Amino acid sequence: MGFFTYFLRDMEQILFPNREQHAIPSMDGALGPNDRLDACTPIGEPLPGVDDALAAGDGALYVSAGKQVLRLSGEGFAERRVFAEFDGNAGGLAFHPDGSLLVCVSGQGLVAVDGNGKQTWLNQVADNPLNCLTAVVVGRDGTIFAANGSSRNPPEDWCVDLMQKNRLGRLVTCGPGFAQPQVVLDGLHYPHGLAIAPDGGSLWFTESWNHRLSRMALRDRKVAVVNGNLPGYPARLAPARGGGFWLSLFAVRTHLVEFVLREDDFREEMMRTIEPALWVAPALATTNHCLEPMQFGSIKALGIQKPWAPPRSYGLLVRIDEDGDPVRSLHSRVGGHHHGITAACETAQGLVIVSKGSGRLLLDRSGGRP
Amino acid sequence: MSIARVATSMDNGFATRLRASLSPRLLLSELLLKQWFEPVIPFTVMLALLAWFSATIPNYAGLENLLSLMRLYAEFGFVALAMAFSLISGGIDLSVGAIFAVCNFAMLYFLYVLDLPVWAAVPATLAVGAAIGCVNGLLIGYLKARPFLTTLVTLIILRASVNLLNERYATVFATNSVDSDVWDFFGEGYVLGVPINAATLIVVLLVGHLFLSRSRFGWHLTAIGANRKAARHAGIQVERMLLFTYVLSGMLCAFGGVFYAARQTSTDSTTGVGWEFQALTAVVLGGVSLSGGKGTVWRAMIGGIIIFLLTNGLVRMGIPGYVTSGAIGLILLAAVGVDVKWAKNRGKAIQKIYVNPARVPLAAAPSLLRGSSSPYAQNDRLIGAEAIGLDQVEGPEDVILDRQDRLYGSTRDGNIIRFSGPSFEQREVFAHIGGRPLGMQFDRDENLIVAVAGMGVYGIRPNQEVYKVTDETNRTWYKLNDDSRLRMADDLDIAPDGKIYFSDCTTRYEMTTNSLDIMEGRPNGRVVCYDPATRRTWTVLNHFYFPNGICVSHDGRSLLIASTSLCKVFRLWLGGPDKDKLEVVLDEIPGNCDNINRASDGNYWLALVGIRTPAFDLAMRKPGFRLRMVKQVPTDEWLAPGLNHGCVLKFTERGEVLESFWDPTGISHSTLTSMREHKGYLYLGGLENNRIGRVKLEGADPSWTGYEAYWGSKQRN
Repeated sequence: MGFFTYFLRDMEQILFPNREQHAIPSMDGALGPNDRLDACTPIGEPLPGVDDALAAGDGALYVSAGKQVLRLSGEGFAERRVFAEFDGNAGGLAFHPDGSLLVCVSGQGLVAVDGNGKQTWLNQVADNPLNCLTAVVVGRDGTIFAANGSSRNPPEDWCVDLMQKNRLGRLVTCGPGFAQPQVVLDGLHYPHGLAIAPDGGSLWFTESWNHRLSRMALRDRKVAVVNGNLPGYPARLAPARGGGFWLSLFAVRTHLVEFVLREDDFREEMMRTIEPALWVAPALATTNHCLEPMQFGSIKALGIQKPWAPPRSYGLLVRIDEDGDPVRSLHSRVGGHHHGITAACETAQGLVIVSKGSGRLLLDRSGGRP
Repeated sequence: MSIARVATSMDNGFATRLRASLSPRLLLSELLLKQWFEPVIPFTVMLALLAWFSATIPNYAGLENLLSLMRLYAEFGFVALAMAFSLISGGIDLSVGAIFAVCNFAMLYFLYVLDLPVWAAVPATLAVGAAIGCVNGLLIGYLKARPFLTTLVTLIILRASVNLLNERYATVFATNSVDSDVWDFFGEGYVLGVPINAATLIVVLLVGHLFLSRSRFGWHLTAIGANRKAARHAGIQVERMLLFTYVLSGMLCAFGGVFYAARQTSTDSTTGVGWEFQALTAVVLGGVSLSGGKGTVWRAMIGGIIIFLLTNGLVRMGIPGYVTSGAIGLILLAAVGVDVKWAKNRGKAIQKIYVNPARVPLAAAPSLLRGSSSPYAQNDRLIGAEAIGLDQVEGPEDVILDRQDRLYGSTRDGNIIRFSGPSFEQREVFAHIGGRPLGMQFDRDENLIVAVAGMGVYGIRPNQEVYKVTDETNRTWYKLNDDSRLRMADDLDIAPDGKIYFSDCTTRYEMTTNSLDIMEGRPNGRVVCYDPATRRTWTVLNHFYFPNGICVSHDGRSLLIASTSLCKVFRLWLGGPDKDKLEVVLDEIPGNCDNINRASDGNYWLALVGIRTPAFDLAMRKPGFRLRMVKQVPTDEWLAPGLNHGCVLKFTERGEVLESFWDPTGISHSTLTSMREHKGYLYLGGLENNRIGRVKLEGADPSWTGYEAYWGSKQRN
């Protein structure tokens, strides 16, 4: 990037001050900070790599964690047993009306596991492998929709995909039993979460890298942006009781990361010479390792790191209404423990929240109400 | 390894460091900060015009032509000066040209019609100018009329009057003559080879300069122009001063009229027409602000000369007068535009270009891998440090103990806090200095000498009395920024001969903005010496990369200097064959070094305030990235070295690192900036910490104290 590029950008800001700049929105109003995620009770022992959770009709909870899908049941979900095991990491989950559980498996594809443990696979759509499935959802008529985050990187390398500024995501669909798979949308910025609207007429989906929440009408497949400038990187969507959704954001945007994303020269050299854990990039969890990049606002003063310091990792779960507007939010700020929220689901016992950063399942018995 | 060291030490020579502190943008930003730089641009234009006309018009540069130009110019010079005074007072005098014409007429009238002698006619003419100015001044000062409209009306009335009078008396003037040597001298004489009118102008300029810049009236005038309301609140007699200003303006025009009359001995309807407009263009072009309160007589003259040269030169080149007028109109437009925009945005413009990051030549960073055999391998030796004064000190940057085992910390509230008692349970404010006290050391007489950021070097006697040691050093003659004041004295140490060596870590920023210095990565700091014997302060080492910790070696013959932004430790020889030679002692340090202190076993302690992260190192190699980051990203979000970790190193005289003490996640000691060994313990201080820590040192001399090592029985010569 030479002088001219910067000059052009400056001129654009001067000449078109109202053109969309994607400034990070401030977290106020319904997104005002609190410590509710840190106040939640963790469910049982840590589950390293926990990624998605799904409530079954019988009150049990299906959870993907590492290469396993676990079934949690009983009071406080204290009982655990392994439901299925795969060669790759398990991610997004959904139930099919035919009784099988759909699981996204990293590097492999979509698998349907029926009650007897029999597995049926969908590995590619139109010659493109489903290497980076992030989410799956089933429409009322049994149509399956799945999101493939990137055709270049597996879900474990999401950070690489962000720093490569890829827009290689796809939304694919198929009928019951994986019949007639086809690509619905292409060129998405890492689609990460899917949900069917309560009326069954539209599919809501998130794109992480452009911080966008969109809605696609199922009838004519027209896409409308619901919220194009979220303060973080959205992950999964889950339907909420009383309409609307739970939107989890696995990290929040910072000025420094946005800046590094604009600095091609720096970013490329960083990717070439530094190991990914030490990049200037969002993270699911802060390790406080001394080689991790730090920002001046994060200095511990008099033994305390301020909670509003620029976050490397953050916990944020937002309840949005039918129009996509935030209603309330649950946070774990800098210094908190439950960062990297990738999913949430409502159960009879309360709201279950997946904190991938801490490897914990959290239970908010109030159901996320204020 | 030794070859590599020699090479690096050559890289740290003065010339290299000087070059690293130079950049065109940096020069520009420092130039723009200078008050004298603004008139430099019109002055250059003036010289360029002179050069251009000299080259294009034959015989232009000759002495004869220059003298005649001076004679032609002087009257306009008076009028421009009159305009400048009214502008500086916050108003405007559009009637200057008309007053000039009236006075020209009055002078001739007094001489030719009333037959007054010259000695009486001149004061009478000046009185006419003053009287007209007085009318302006009364209307503007006391009746609060708007200067623009008032003087416009005066202009119209005077112009009409002078035309009427001209018609009536033109023939009288043309047919009469006055036989007076004085009068001829006024018209054609020379003083010391300079035309009389120009000589008078020069004298008036000198007086005007002294008046404007050195007298109470001048200051009041400027104050009214800068902010009339504030001037009134400050007790300045605004009405009287304004009256006086317009009287002065009228009298200056009268001077011009007198000389013009003597030179031309005639009057016509074009005398002084359009001069108000030319004078306005001239002074604004010279840098006298239209909004008032800013300007000097010299700026007005520079602008005046530019306009005069331009009109005169263009006429001589045969260009029609209306083209010249048009050109001057455009110049006025441009000058006014620049004046308005510049006055508003100067500060912003300087701020935009003040920070000028450079590539920082960092050495490779060694591995910190826990459990490895490296002396830097991370461990948890500082996590369990015993906390002293927990939540009773705010950021003890440096800690020190006295002969009575009392513990001192320099805190961010400008205090030196003292802890005493067997377990340091007694807290007291030993002294309040102000500023940001940083490094400390006891001199032979047990005075505590403290480096105070923002103030200089101060001392505290055992009876708690605070005294100033020094707050300025010699100014670097070739630097634009006056660097004689100490900006950020950081750490100090005292040589056996009593000389105090201290680091002044930046000359371009302050304590509150020193992270900008790290971002800039230029050798902006210096090492300074104060000799109590001669009470003299001088810079020992100029252009140094953020010098921080200072320690006189055990033998007292050299000085160890820690560079925070280069992540190296240097040695400066104070005596011996290598006197004044600078060499690298520690090269590849994994963090940003802070204070250095002596250890009981003849080695040295070094605190690392920050740990180098791969991302930060990469940023240090990319100045453009840092520049844009400083501009586009809020301060809180700038990339920093890892500051939430504590690390203390021990190294030998030869530069080998022996061991390290870590608090790897900063649980007890983050931003660790200092450590002090005392009787078998290591005491720890941190820039942002809420405690002083101490750890027991295994096998250390339990009777060793800093004071004894410097001034008593534990010296190692």
